[in-house]
Amino acid sequence: MTPDTGFEAIVTVHHAEIYRYLRRLTYRMGEAEDLSQETFFRAYRAWSALPGDANVRAWLFKIATNVFRNHARGERRRLIAHATVQASRHEADPSGPEAAAVAGELQALTVATIQRLPVKQRMAFTLRKLHDLDYELIGQSLDCSAETARAHVFQALRKIRTSLDGHALPRTESTR
Amino acid sequence: MTSKPSICVAIEPDLIAAATGEAVPSAAGRVDAHIAQCASCRNDYAHYQAVETVVGDLRTSMAPADAEDARRRLIERLSDLRSRLVHYQVAPSPLGPILIAVTEQGVTLVEYLGRGGAAGSRLFREAGVEAVEGGAEVDRLHGELREFVEGRRTHLDWSLDLRSARSDFQRQVMQATVAVPYGAVASYAGIARELGRPAAVRAVAQALRHNPLPIVVPCHRIIGSTGKLVGYAGNKIGLKEQLLGLEGVPVNTRASRIERDAMYHYDPNPDHQYCLPTCGSILRRPLAQVRLFAHREQAAASGLEPCLDCRPDLHPLSR
Repeated sequence: MTPDTGFEAIVTVHHAEIYRYLRRLTYRMGEAEDLSQETFFRAYRAWSALPGDANVRAWLFKIATNVFRNHARGERRRLIAHATVQASRHEADPSGPEAAAVAGELQALTVATIQRLPVKQRMAFTLRKLHDLDYELIGQSLDCSAETARAHVFQALRKIRTSLDGHALPRTESTR
Repeated sequence: MTSKPSICVAIEPDLIAAATGEAVPSAAGRVDAHIAQCASCRNDYAHYQAVETVVGDLRTSMAPADAEDARRRLIERLSDLRSRLVHYQVAPSPLGPILIAVTEQGVTLVEYLGRGGAAGSRLFREAGVEAVEGGAEVDRLHGELREFVEGRRTHLDWSLDLRSARSDFQRQVMQATVAVPYGAVASYAGIARELGRPAAVRAVAQALRHNPLPIVVPCHRIIGSTGKLVGYAGNKIGLKEQLLGLEGVPVNTRASRIERDAMYHYDPNPDHQYCLPTCGSILRRPLAQVRLFAHREQAAASGLEPCLDCRPDLHPLSR
């Protein structure tokens, strides 16, 4: 037996992106799979109550974001409880997909900086810059205003920019 | 950190927006004018542009190779979840609060809730069931049920998930009961006869006592061979009277029995004719052999013709 064709179509269209989003947030393969399963389970349970004209992609991002926030909260508690455990999750996992894909030093630096961002900034930045969601939807996912979501993204950009200090910049095609 | 001139501080958000493709044209114009004058901000601008380039590369980086495997495993686990998923909803009704639960195959439970409310439902005693409250389908069913119990609907054409039956026998009893139409009554003995097990009268009664789908599997239309209502859903005989009354079945509530002599009778015959209770000796036939109808229209809806001797069409029962 397979799930309803309707929901299976949703999985087919959106799974890769939601999975990628969660991998970007966790940088751990197994974790991302668990979290994306949890995301789609929750979505499936709530699916029948979803209005027909809903933005399914935004809805899934919102669920994934909530799943990750709960997970991150639990993770933080565990880290506090085991103070001796190094917060290794804040170090770039070299097997992460972005790390594998990035060649240059600037990219590695950027990825490492993104991983060190506070959770909300990391989520807002990832949703905006890597998945192109608009600020209104990001605000809905993070339970904040669009303005606050924008502030999180800009704060993240400032930190990434600061991390590039002292490094040679690639030549960018200036349009000005 | 060296402090920047206030003009640079003021323009900084616009500068970030312009360098990362988020600025409105007017802001971009202001930024252009400023960085033409200010070397420090020009440098910042170049850095933010570099960030944008790097981020752009991250955005377009290939999907991880393991995504496909993860998706396949997800589909498998969703199938499992789907087969266990039950949507339920509780709604008030003139018969008290009722819980309806529906699976992918159809309605699996209609339950009169007691004081414990939904928490006391048998739904939560079933192993392996994943119960989720709400859903469009279960809302629609409640709407139809409400119409039914308010007398505005005579049919509930619901798909039923009879996996909730306890046994094959109970499933057969439920199927035979579904076939008893609105406004008609049959007896436990009649159902047992129909199933080819005329001695299994008590077993039929037990099967209906534990009917997981009351109302839609109309066990309220099944009564004792003497015309006594006998029982309903444990100790809810009042609900049985209410439902039969709704369908126009004459019930003597003091004696807790139907008024057989105020109903049309059908004793299966080749011409499919139904009769007045006064026709020949039909009133003395055991209830196991006849089916009763409250109204002529209900008999006609079951494909029956008026008897040519007693002419129930010309001499309807008056109530």
